[in-house]
Amino acid sequence: MELSDANLQTLTEYLKKTLDPDPSIRRPAEKFLESVEGSQNYPLLLLTLLEKSQDNVIKVCASVTFKNYIKRNWRIIEDEPNKICETDRIAIKGNIIHLMLSSPEQIQKQLSDAISIIGREDFPQKWPDLLTEMVNRFQSGDFHVINGVLRTAHSLFKRYRHEFKSNELWTEIKLVLDAFAQPLTNLFKATIELCSTHANDASALKVLFSSLIQIAKLFYSLNFQDLPEFFEDHMETWMTNFHSLLTLDNKLLQTDDEEEAGLLELLKSQICDNAALYAQKYDEEFQPYLPRFVTAIWNLLVTTGQEVKYDLLVSNAIQFLASVCERPHYKHLFEDQNTLTSICEKVIVPNMEFRAADEEAFEDNSEEYIRRDLEGSDIDTRRRAACDLVRGLCKFFEGPVTGIFSGYVNSMLQEYAKNPSVNWKHKDAAIYLVTSLASKAQTQKHGITQANEFVNLTEFFVNHIQPDLKSANVNEFPVLKADGIKYIMIFRNQVPKEQLLVSIPLLINHLQAESIVVHTYAAHALERLFTMRGTNNATLITAAEMAPFVEVLLTNLFKALTFPGSSENEYIMKAVMRSFSLLQEAIIPYIPSLIAQLTQKLLAVSKNPSKPHFNHYMFESICLSIRITCKANPAAVGSFEEALFMVFTEILQNDVQEFIPYVFQVMSLLLEMHKNDIPSSYMALFPHLLQPVLWERTGNIPPLVRLLQAYLEKGASTIASAAADKIPGLLGVFQKLIASKANDHQGFYLLNSIIEHMPPESVDQYRKQIFILLFQRLQNSKTTKFIKSFLVFINLYCVKYGALALQEIFDSIQPKMFGMVLEKIIIPEIQKVSGQVEKKICAVGITKILTECPPMMDTEYTKLWTPLLQALIGLFELPEDDTIPDEEHFIDIEDTPGYQTAFSQLAFAGKKEHDPVGQMVNNPKIHLAQSLHKLSTACPGRVGNS
Amino acid sequence: MPTTNEQDERMKKFKNKGKDTAAMRRQRMEVNVELRKAKKDEQILKRRNISFSSMGECLSPEQEKKNATAQLSLEEIVQAVNGNNPELHLKATQTARRMLSRQRNPPLNQIIEAGIIPKLVEFLSHNDNVTLQFEAAWALTNIASGTSDQTRAVVEAGAVPAFVALLSSPHMHISEQSVWALGNIAGDGPMYRDSLIHNNVIPPLLALVSPSTPVGFLRNITWTLSNLCRNKNPYPPLEAVRQILPVLIRLLKHEDKDILSDTCWAVSYLTDGSNDRIHVVVETGILPRLVELMASPELSVVTPALRAIGNVVTGTDEQTQMAIDAGVLTVLPQLLQHPKPTIQKEAAWTLSNIAAGPCHQIQQLITCGLLLPLVELLDKGEFKAQKEAVWAVANFTTGGTVQQVVELVQYGVLKPLLNLLSARDGKTILVILDTISNLFLAAEKLEETEKLCFLVEELGGLEKIEALQTHDNTMVYRAALGLIERYFASEENPNLQPESDQEKQTFSF
Repeated sequence: MELSDANLQTLTEYLKKTLDPDPSIRRPAEKFLESVEGSQNYPLLLLTLLEKSQDNVIKVCASVTFKNYIKRNWRIIEDEPNKICETDRIAIKGNIIHLMLSSPEQIQKQLSDAISIIGREDFPQKWPDLLTEMVNRFQSGDFHVINGVLRTAHSLFKRYRHEFKSNELWTEIKLVLDAFAQPLTNLFKATIELCSTHANDASALKVLFSSLIQIAKLFYSLNFQDLPEFFEDHMETWMTNFHSLLTLDNKLLQTDDEEEAGLLELLKSQICDNAALYAQKYDEEFQPYLPRFVTAIWNLLVTTGQEVKYDLLVSNAIQFLASVCERPHYKHLFEDQNTLTSICEKVIVPNMEFRAADEEAFEDNSEEYIRRDLEGSDIDTRRRAACDLVRGLCKFFEGPVTGIFSGYVNSMLQEYAKNPSVNWKHKDAAIYLVTSLASKAQTQKHGITQANEFVNLTEFFVNHIQPDLKSANVNEFPVLKADGIKYIMIFRNQVPKEQLLVSIPLLINHLQAESIVVHTYAAHALERLFTMRGTNNATLITAAEMAPFVEVLLTNLFKALTFPGSSENEYIMKAVMRSFSLLQEAIIPYIPSLIAQLTQKLLAVSKNPSKPHFNHYMFESICLSIRITCKANPAAVGSFEEALFMVFTEILQNDVQEFIPYVFQVMSLLLEMHKNDIPSSYMALFPHLLQPVLWERTGNIPPLVRLLQAYLEKGASTIASAAADKIPGLLGVFQKLIASKANDHQGFYLLNSIIEHMPPESVDQYRKQIFILLFQRLQNSKTTKFIKSFLVFINLYCVKYGALALQEIFDSIQPKMFGMVLEKIIIPEIQKVSGQVEKKICAVGITKILTECPPMMDTEYTKLWTPLLQALIGLFELPEDDTIPDEEHFIDIEDTPGYQTAFSQLAFAGKKEHDPVGQMVNNPKIHLAQSLHKLSTACPGRVGNS
Repeated sequence: MPTTNEQDERMKKFKNKGKDTAAMRRQRMEVNVELRKAKKDEQILKRRNISFSSMGECLSPEQEKKNATAQLSLEEIVQAVNGNNPELHLKATQTARRMLSRQRNPPLNQIIEAGIIPKLVEFLSHNDNVTLQFEAAWALTNIASGTSDQTRAVVEAGAVPAFVALLSSPHMHISEQSVWALGNIAGDGPMYRDSLIHNNVIPPLLALVSPSTPVGFLRNITWTLSNLCRNKNPYPPLEAVRQILPVLIRLLKHEDKDILSDTCWAVSYLTDGSNDRIHVVVETGILPRLVELMASPELSVVTPALRAIGNVVTGTDEQTQMAIDAGVLTVLPQLLQHPKPTIQKEAAWTLSNIAAGPCHQIQQLITCGLLLPLVELLDKGEFKAQKEAVWAVANFTTGGTVQQVVELVQYGVLKPLLNLLSARDGKTILVILDTISNLFLAAEKLEETEKLCFLVEELGGLEKIEALQTHDNTMVYRAALGLIERYFASEENPNLQPESDQEKQTFSF
């Protein structure tokens, strides 16, 4: 491709077409560009266009195309062709800085990105002039140019913040420091001077402050890995200036925008980060400066307003104080009672207030509000930072801080009492303050686990929380209701049980509150209370204690699901599940109505499943209904099938992928409830379960295997008599599963069920083929997991068909194979088998080989008898061998090309552990002893001597 | 991703529990490039002689000026040394020496450029003129104290054999000055160090050490000896090391703190290497004395003694055991709490390498009460010391038995460890995540996974690990994600996808 006008024209045409909304025009143009991008000069043509085209749209389009081209092609990958010819590379590097700096902002950004991609590959070795070129621009005096350079530098150096120390990296940083640190420092000083000379020129200040922000960011990157000699020597310059910038204010830089942070805020925020970096990593050197920064940052906090735009700055600043006040050698900076009072009064309390933005979220964006408030995704919020500061201060000053805040809490509560409808926010702040003061440690599962002993939580609960929740109007002061419910939830382990019992009807009542946050919190609080443990590991709240409330609880829960915005509320559904599980048979009278509501819900959400947690708890609730009811009345299984199968059929027919694994699990549960027969409705479905398409989806495999196992358990003889032609299909599933390293254990589950339950004659003709398949897999790709499963299988086979049958089938595949299996697999690997039942199967199987297999006594296999016995004793006595060969360590990561629908196991559809040798052998050790005894009686003199 | 470097390799091995304990030991220099200022507490490589007689000259600028005017100019010096007048030789050499002994801005390069070095070297052999010999030796000492180029100028003029010869001078001040000059040359690097050794510097140097050697002189000798032991790539020849070691052991019994300090530095250089290098040192039985010196009240002695022992425990399990038998574990607790952060850091580094040993050594570490100060350091130490403490904990949890790991947890290691997840250092975070994973392996064996999950969450660790899933470093976020998926994911249970199959109605078998 020549650098000709004709080519520029062609390229312009095609670029234009790539912007066409019509795919039939756009796609071919994109294809064309891709097809020519390997040609020499192509990138230079793009650069020419973005510089010289008359059409602004084409300029921007060329710059984006150029950046993407660089992104795809610049990196040279070993053993792959170099996709950009060397002369183009040199030309690009020669021009791009100048081009970037002289372009308008939109294009500058693209080129700056391209430079950092190139820099990542070529800098510093293959782009030695870059640094000098950048540094030279510092002297240009043109701050638009300087800002461009600084941005580029930032994109090149910011990786120093996260990459690991290495010779390569540090050599580069050293090079950068040598060339860059001094000019950057000069620029920093010069820029600050210019700020004071231009103190009255708003537009100049904006440009200058953008530079300062970039400079402060560069400082962070360059100082991240270690404290460079240069910056240690120039700490005075940097820190003095940073400090004075923190205290600087200029009306001209203040923005009207309430949401978006302005330049001043961004700069101060970055300076807080820089100070925090030094305080954390270079404490010894930074110590002389630290007190000054503490004072400045604290003053900054006192004078900063409530607007959202200051949030990041405030939270960074508070976090800085929080991290410093925990350090023993800075304790003295905070010790003074006046200081403490002032921090509490002017920094903590104001930042705990419920702001207009919080109120908005509470009403209009409840999901986000709940996530922040309940699930702790509030890391960057002011409230959270203030809480962290409280905790930090409490490390050394718990008593005084609690004292100061108690006064505040009381006065805020008094304010509230004077005029609740106006002053309710005071009470909100009081509750928040008590909460943050009292909670020293917490978990999702347990709420607060360690509390401040200076705070009387129960008293506060009785006097200030319960009255709100007892008020007749559940819709009054919703924020305070939510606060109160949250208080119960997080302090549930501190508040005595009788108070919790008093609260339960109040919570149930608040399920009816219109506010999404309030009824969600009520559901969540109930769910949490129901999971608390009392003595003997039982639930703290018993079904008997709940008896008076069963009906209203169930009614209100399902009613809450009808509120707009809560129709798929996962907290409510989880509370439904937990209530079922707690109440057990107390729900049976309500089952017909409950199951009707659940199936209706299921039908509705299956149109467009969007809330995975909601769906999961819904299926769990269905499982619970089935288990609880059928436990009392096994015949009821039919009515569940009647109620559910229609919806299930629809889900299967419409191929609702998210739900299919759940449906199989519920079906397994239902089928297992049947007594030793298999209804014809299930048999009709059987052939469909063997369809390959179902087995394509990862998420289907475990529940489908489980379902097939249930079929085999309940209907092996029916399958053998009425569906014998499906047996090859069934074995085909086994064959498919066994071929995969990820799913082979599932294949073995299926195979074991076949061996255990199918009438022997029905699988006779396939037995040898099964063994051959297993051997092929063993030869091709042996993994520890496969061997473990294989060992369990052959021993189960031995238990079921006898040791002699096992020996014969091996030796029929190839002479002496049985001995090989004993010697190479069973004896050396048996120790790896894990799981109680699995070990038991192996123990019984091996005992049979030792004692019921004549060839072990009188052929060349005899020499293996003693080692086999030793291996068996090892299985009994030695700890499990859980070593894995090196190359297998990362096997599942390497074998995962990315996973599809995840399989979510339903806890309440759980299968009981099945012990196929349970009836036969109780204690395998005694069994071994007895069998050996029998053997020695049969062959006197043989056993003891070998 | 950058190409793998040595340390990444180490990390990989570290993650494969129990695969290669030797690889867990961390040599001193992981990265040869330094961004930091050279440490004030490191030993000085080269020293200029600005002592007694030159002191007066630096007292006041005026006096200095007066002296300077009273003396010869550089041109006159050049003329004089090239002339034949012995008196002028002396005067010129003395003037040059004075200039070179000035406290500020000694004109090293001007003197070199003036081309008088060969003459000064020649003067070294004027056994008939002791004063001239001395002045020349002094001047050359100071030139050799400069940059590598400046040192080279002295060596290339043939000074080495001349100085070696002067070691045996009957005049003590001359042999002392020669010791000093040779020390500067040896301090330049491995090349000149070995060239000195080939010039047979060691026997006459060692011969100077006797009970009657004055302390000041002995300090100089010790310092020069330490420079002969210093530097790697290559190490000093083993033969030379074997010659020097017995003298070092004698010097280690001295009471002067400078002598002790430099001797310890010498030993620290000799042990800063592969296991066979360490072997040569430890087999002399030097360790108990070194350990004793680790407890010295003098920081200048503690630093190199600790460094030397720290190097020894990077060696084999047997070598580490010798250090343990010498009592290192009884001294380390106080060093972990030393007021100087650098000492804390070095002590923690030493401990981290002992913790990389077999579990019976880990047990000794517990018995000697190291866990409490280790956890304290992890909690309250300076960051660079905390970083080493993290390694110590990581190694401990990798090689320790379940019971030992439990004990560590009982000492409260979790809280400070989890707090450090907010450190601004990717590598430290990764090591902590690996350590947490080790703790979980132990918890699994005890069937206490749930309890550990609880503790980690209660101490705010879960929140930090969750936040690390967005860390910019891929290894960090993968490790964080791995922990979350493995231990903290609630109901979700991802499964793996097998290879796809044909589109038939049923499978064939």
